[in-house]
Amino acid sequence: MESAALKKYLIGVVPLTVLSVLLVASLFMMSAAAQNSGFLGRIYSVLLVVNLLGISALLVLILFNLYILLKQYRTRVMGSRLTLRLLLMFVALAVAPVAVVYLFSIQTLNRGIDSWFDVKIERALDDALLLGRTSLDAIKQDLLKSTNEMAIELEASSDRTVLPALNYLREVHAVTELTLFAQDGRIIASSSQEGPETGTLIPDRPSDTILARIRQGQTYANIDASARVGLRMRVVVPVYARDVGAPIRILQVLQTLPSRYAKLGESVQTAYAEYEKLVYLRGPLKFSFSLTLSLVALLTMLVALWAAIFSARRVVAPIRELAAGTRAVALGDYKKRIPVSSHDEIGILVESFNEMTRQIARAQSQSKRSQREAEMQRAYLETILTHLSSGVMSFDQRHLLRTHNAAAGPILGIDMAAASEQSVDWLAQTHPHLLPFTDTIKSAVRAGGREWRAEVTLTEDSPNRRTLLLRGTLLPGLKGRYGGYVVVFDDVTNLIQAQRAAAWGEVARRMAHEIKNPLTPIQLSAERIRHKYLRALPEDERATLDRATHTIVEQVESLKSLVNAFADYARPAQVRARTIELNHLVRDVVELYRVERGPVGADTIALRGAEGKERGANIKLKLELDATLPSFLADAGRLRQVLHNLLLNARDALAQEPKPSIRVITRHRVEGAQSFVEFCMQDNGPGFPPDLMDRLFEPYVTSKVKGTGLGLAIVRRIVEEHNGTIAAENLPHGGAIVTIRLPVSEAAHEPEEPTTIPGASARRAHGEPGK
Amino acid sequence: MPACISVSNIAALRIRRSALWVLATSALPLLCAPAVLAGFAVGTIQPRIVERVLQVNGNLDLTLTPKVEEAIGKGIPVQLVIDLRLFRRRPLIWDERIETWGLRRELSYHALSGQYLVGSVSAVPTDRESFTSLNEALAELGAIDGVALSIDEPLVANADLRLDVRVRLDIEALPSLLRPVAYTSSDWNLNSEWTTWKVQR
Repeated sequence: MESAALKKYLIGVVPLTVLSVLLVASLFMMSAAAQNSGFLGRIYSVLLVVNLLGISALLVLILFNLYILLKQYRTRVMGSRLTLRLLLMFVALAVAPVAVVYLFSIQTLNRGIDSWFDVKIERALDDALLLGRTSLDAIKQDLLKSTNEMAIELEASSDRTVLPALNYLREVHAVTELTLFAQDGRIIASSSQEGPETGTLIPDRPSDTILARIRQGQTYANIDASARVGLRMRVVVPVYARDVGAPIRILQVLQTLPSRYAKLGESVQTAYAEYEKLVYLRGPLKFSFSLTLSLVALLTMLVALWAAIFSARRVVAPIRELAAGTRAVALGDYKKRIPVSSHDEIGILVESFNEMTRQIARAQSQSKRSQREAEMQRAYLETILTHLSSGVMSFDQRHLLRTHNAAAGPILGIDMAAASEQSVDWLAQTHPHLLPFTDTIKSAVRAGGREWRAEVTLTEDSPNRRTLLLRGTLLPGLKGRYGGYVVVFDDVTNLIQAQRAAAWGEVARRMAHEIKNPLTPIQLSAERIRHKYLRALPEDERATLDRATHTIVEQVESLKSLVNAFADYARPAQVRARTIELNHLVRDVVELYRVERGPVGADTIALRGAEGKERGANIKLKLELDATLPSFLADAGRLRQVLHNLLLNARDALAQEPKPSIRVITRHRVEGAQSFVEFCMQDNGPGFPPDLMDRLFEPYVTSKVKGTGLGLAIVRRIVEEHNGTIAAENLPHGGAIVTIRLPVSEAAHEPEEPTTIPGASARRAHGEPGK
Repeated sequence: MPACISVSNIAALRIRRSALWVLATSALPLLCAPAVLAGFAVGTIQPRIVERVLQVNGNLDLTLTPKVEEAIGKGIPVQLVIDLRLFRRRPLIWDERIETWGLRRELSYHALSGQYLVGSVSAVPTDRESFTSLNEALAELGAIDGVALSIDEPLVANADLRLDVRVRLDIEALPSLLRPVAYTSSDWNLNSEWTTWKVQR
């Protein structure tokens, strides 16, 4: 604040104006003072000092202003360069004429003053003075002569009788004053024609020097210029005594000059003195006038300089603000408004600038809004793309990958981060298994269709043979041209598998229907033949018939169970879901295979081994059930079938095992927002044959002699009906494990009427491949 | 010679003139030539207190530079001021100033008579004396004979008094045109130093 106030005082208009006006007044007074002896003449020196100090102050102020300007110039303050340029121009325009006028004025002044003095006048005055002196000398000589005569006459007069003599002599010689002094200067007698009205009763006494000269016998005669009544002649002579050894006396004669002489003499004296003074003061006069003129010129130049600084600042101020405004706009500040200080062209410019920034600000806010909307749109699209199960990749005109979504990587089985900004060919080179994929894209793009579809099978890694469905579209570009293309692809492997499974189911259903129908008549007919003809036949043939019919009935039974299994597999999904506790279900199923009754709820149970000729040892079954397992919606009957199938599979697999054991594990798993119930059945048997791992869950795939090959297929189907997943794998140290994951829906928490699991009718094929 | 006490507004004048001197001498030191022999000096001063009157006798050694002589010869009157300051000495602390006087005398040249006129500056011109030579005039100018100066303030009995004296040329009394030259030229710098004299009782 203080600094700003100080700056205002130092570079403001008012102080400099006031100072300039004061200085001009002071210089005017100084100029007047140089020529008169009045009050101004008395304060001449003060005025001079005041002017010098004032001009110094002005100089300091201007230097300060220049310093600030230069500082601004160096620090590249906006407008300082223009200000400096204008300043230089103004200075050149103002100072140069002043300097020229000054130089000519000085020259003219000096010549003018010199012209006042003329040799003839000077000689005339000298001559006049000489003339005056000569005429006065004549009077002086006459008076000296008269005085000497008077002195001789007075020689005989004694001190007591001298007065009448003096009066007489004064009258006779017509002198103004006659005084006789003793040798020591004491007045003996005096005679004066001047009355008391003149105010000088005491006679004028000559100086000691004059008296000393007289005592030495000399005479003194000269004009007395010190008199109060104009010029007068003073003559002093010794008056010798007639008596030898007597002291001399001194006679002084004062003769006032005739008024005509006195006036003329005074006039000559005054004129001469004044002229001489003037001549003598010619140098100082020139100096004084030059000084005044120089100060005036300096003041004028300084004021011009200051006015130049001020004007330059004033002119540049709006331009500077305008420049600062444009810079602010360049830096993105569109709210910058410049106050309109004038109505001239610059004012119009400022108004235009303000209007421009206003419009830019409006456009910018609109653009920001659009950008925000675009951003939102982009985020919206990105969210959709990210959560899209289909893979999406977009390429530019040069076939470089621009964008892709999260699903693209897992579907293609590559790290998409590395593929960004890479070409389609790079994808094929780096990941050879994608060659059919990239070839399809390239050929489709080359064909030039706006939209295209294709199906590609990635065969590179045969166990994971996958089929992708590709859909491509050209992207709109600038000026109506196409800017690139986007490829959307889905892994339809599971869909195809599901379609295949559905086809199998249909076949099975039809076969079961077609086969099951004649089975009962065949069985009944065989039983009827046996019943009717067994007794009628001879003994030896009876055995044959019995064996034959028995075989027919047995095989028909076997066929029936086979057909039932087919029917089960092919039966349409009819899940009747209700809230169940998996742990209870597990315990219920396990109880059926228990060797002996024991306490319900024990974690380790002995199960019956595999039935048949090669009945296996009792199996040790260990239950590891998660007590916190949530209840969930499921068809208890169908899940019971799953458990049965898995348990029977495990039991059959352990037939040759000396120490067979089964672990049944239930767990609650939470992955993200999804909650699962996980069920694992692990045995220590030989595990699944490796060559069957890929097709474990397909129908008619079995390693067992008696198996229908539909057990695991049915299990998988039921699991899928519950929107779950199933996986099977062999353990590194022997044995196999089958893991089922079933989703826990929110509705499961409330017990309610049997309902259909959402999406249960649509078979989902998310089974872990390759088990 | 009759003496006139010119106790005018001395204090104010002195301050102003001192300031001017300081400014002139400090601002333009380069213009001042080395000190010349010519100049004023205080010769002998014999101050004596008689009741409340200070009687001063003595003489001043006044020598003019050719420049000043020339100016006088050209009819420019010069004034010199004899400054007198009466102090009471005090032990340990500074001396107390009791009174200040300034005796102003003028020297001029009368061309018609070729005489130098010496007198005190006053309204009455009769106090002037004329001298045919400059030396006589200067001797008269420097003579201080029985100058009686009255003291306004009562004096402490047996006070130890001192009188400081100096003589200076009054440049402000010169024609205004000559003043800048006089201030900046050593030819016109004739002032004496202050001298201190014990006051007798």
